[in-house]
Amino acid sequence: MIGRRLPLLAVVAALAAACATGEPERTAAPTTPPGPPPPPRAALAAPYNERAQALEADGRLREALQARQIALTINPDDAAARASLAALQARIDEQVSAQLKEGRAALQRGAQVVARRHFLAVLALDPTNRTAFEALRDQTPDVEMLSHTVRAGETLSSLASHYYGNRALGEVIAETNKLAPNARLAAGTVLKIPEVPGVTLNRPGARPPAPRAPLPTAPGAPTAATPAPVPAAPAPPREEPAEVNPLLAEAREAVDRQDYYQALSDLDQLLASSPKNTDALNLKKQVLYTQGKSQLDQKKYKDSYATLNQLARIAPGYEDSATLLRQTRTRLVDEYYNSGIRYYREEKLPEAIAQWKAVLEIDPQHVNARKNLDQAERLLKQLDERRK
Amino acid sequence: MRRAAWLPIAIAAVAWGCASAPPPPPPAPVVQAPPTPDVFESPDFIVVIPKTPETSASLATRYLNDVGKAWMIEEFTGASSFQPGQQVVIPRKDWNPAGVTPSGYRLVPILVYHNLDAQPKGRLVQSAASFEQQMRYLKAEGYHTLTLAEFLEFTRLNRQLPRKSVVLTFDDGYKSFKQFAYPVLKELGFTATLFVYTDYVGAGRNALSWADIKALQAEGFDIQAHSKTHGDLRRAPGETAAQFEQRMHAELAQPRDLFKRQIGQAPDTIAYPYGRWDADVLKQVKATGYVAAFTVRRQGNPAFVSPLTIHRSQIYADMSLDEFAKNLTLFQEEDLR
Repeated sequence: MIGRRLPLLAVVAALAAACATGEPERTAAPTTPPGPPPPPRAALAAPYNERAQALEADGRLREALQARQIALTINPDDAAARASLAALQARIDEQVSAQLKEGRAALQRGAQVVARRHFLAVLALDPTNRTAFEALRDQTPDVEMLSHTVRAGETLSSLASHYYGNRALGEVIAETNKLAPNARLAAGTVLKIPEVPGVTLNRPGARPPAPRAPLPTAPGAPTAATPAPVPAAPAPPREEPAEVNPLLAEAREAVDRQDYYQALSDLDQLLASSPKNTDALNLKKQVLYTQGKSQLDQKKYKDSYATLNQLARIAPGYEDSATLLRQTRTRLVDEYYNSGIRYYREEKLPEAIAQWKAVLEIDPQHVNARKNLDQAERLLKQLDERRK
Repeated sequence: MRRAAWLPIAIAAVAWGCASAPPPPPPAPVVQAPPTPDVFESPDFIVVIPKTPETSASLATRYLNDVGKAWMIEEFTGASSFQPGQQVVIPRKDWNPAGVTPSGYRLVPILVYHNLDAQPKGRLVQSAASFEQQMRYLKAEGYHTLTLAEFLEFTRLNRQLPRKSVVLTFDDGYKSFKQFAYPVLKELGFTATLFVYTDYVGAGRNALSWADIKALQAEGFDIQAHSKTHGDLRRAPGETAAQFEQRMHAELAQPRDLFKRQIGQAPDTIAYPYGRWDADVLKQVKATGYVAAFTVRRQGNPAFVSPLTIHRSQIYADMSLDEFAKNLTLFQEEDLR
């Protein structure tokens, strides 16, 4: 009984142990049928050691280091591999410190593009090197590069003269593109033209206007015969078209629907927080003008007068708004005056009086309105007295 | 014989308790348990020779205790499924957080969306259908969407990211995010960051309310600052230093207080309105306590990007899928050998 029971208990124990450590392979259960024996560790590790050597020979030291580490993961007792790892690590450390030194020196002389490449090289060798990382982040600001395709006859100096206005900076172009300082340029070669701190980079977009497409000329007219130098392919614009303030966008949408009331409400909301927003101010003028004009066309003189008056307060000379305002004022005055007459004839004196008062509010010099108002008020007074 | 009856049960019970061992072994004799793989370990790597077919997910679950790290195995080995007998190298930790190699360095694109609607309008109101198409493209191409926190860890050399990583951002705080973007993002398991300018919240007809924003935050969307009024932050001509300081206080500090009151958390990053900034603005942004700030310069970000001028690429309504995909450059080639 006992002889049979023990192995079973051992299996239970082994399984429990496997659970606890999560590494069942370390606790081979005795009853598991033996699989084929694993190949010896050295054989398994060999491809990684070979790979490490090849990568190291190719100058890819970091990847070589990883391959060596993997080989040693499989076969930790391989003394030769361990020695190679140590030698490789020493080689990497040496290169890292040399690159850091060169990077710092390049920063000192203001060659940021070169410095940047040294610091990048450090990170390729030593991916967690904070010194290089921070130098890249803080000391080599985004260097803008233009791309230039060399044309026949161009030299480093002529390019430097063109892009920087300084022939001497040909060295910078050479250094950036890993060329000798006096290298000859082959037509068709694509070069990087770096931004140099403190020097205005002559961007293609910022150049004097490119030769225009030939205008149709009258027969016999002399054609302009001074072909301007062909500019390099234009670089993409540096500034993105600006995004639009959402309230402004909503206001524009409202204008498109001819919902001027909503547009003005959006704009006033926007202007409440940014009173100097030029886009909003301009759009508001435009909306008031369009709205006032359309109200005038629809003979809504009262509305038109109010709208155009609002426009006059912020932009007195806007388009022909002054003329429109005069027109709508005249029509509104006539409208009030005539309806006063109508009420008067209908013997509705208080209503007539209100209309003429409205006329005088807009036009205090309106003689007839004044006369009629006085007469109507006298009449009303007499009527009141008679009733008493 | 009485003992013989409980022993198999005990074995089965112990095996059953081994929840992490797939597949759950049936209550059967021990001899049928799956063969365990050969495993070699060091501080940096685990080398596994599986005896049954494995996937990056199953290996990540077992050896990295996190199925979410399957990408590490995929990217290190270049494969996602493994045959018995095949050696699999599992990196135990980040092996190249900045992604600089002798042939160049990796970039993380950040995309900017604005307003969505059923129909496109102008450049900045994108159709919901085209947005959905872009998101499905990202999913099909295997992109991971990052939280802002994950991205910022990358910019501090503290975190390696999956190679195909992208940050999705939505500017201003449009209500259309809720209607059109949210359902798609949820379905695809994507996350996003909203840069909201506080004057707009609850204001325009198309604006999110504070309640909306709070709900989105609870769902895991990141809410960050986009100034108070969406004005150009740069010092205006004729603006005195004192006026500028005062305006910057309103544009930069006030939103932080308001966010804190409204959603219990002050934002620590800001997207520049119109993407515009200058040296004075940077100083103010830093002094106000923002740790990162975002422009709209159309390029990807290396890990060593300057944290106050992080690049973002605006997606416009009229972009074709090809043009959209051009904003997803993941690597800057540069020969560093």
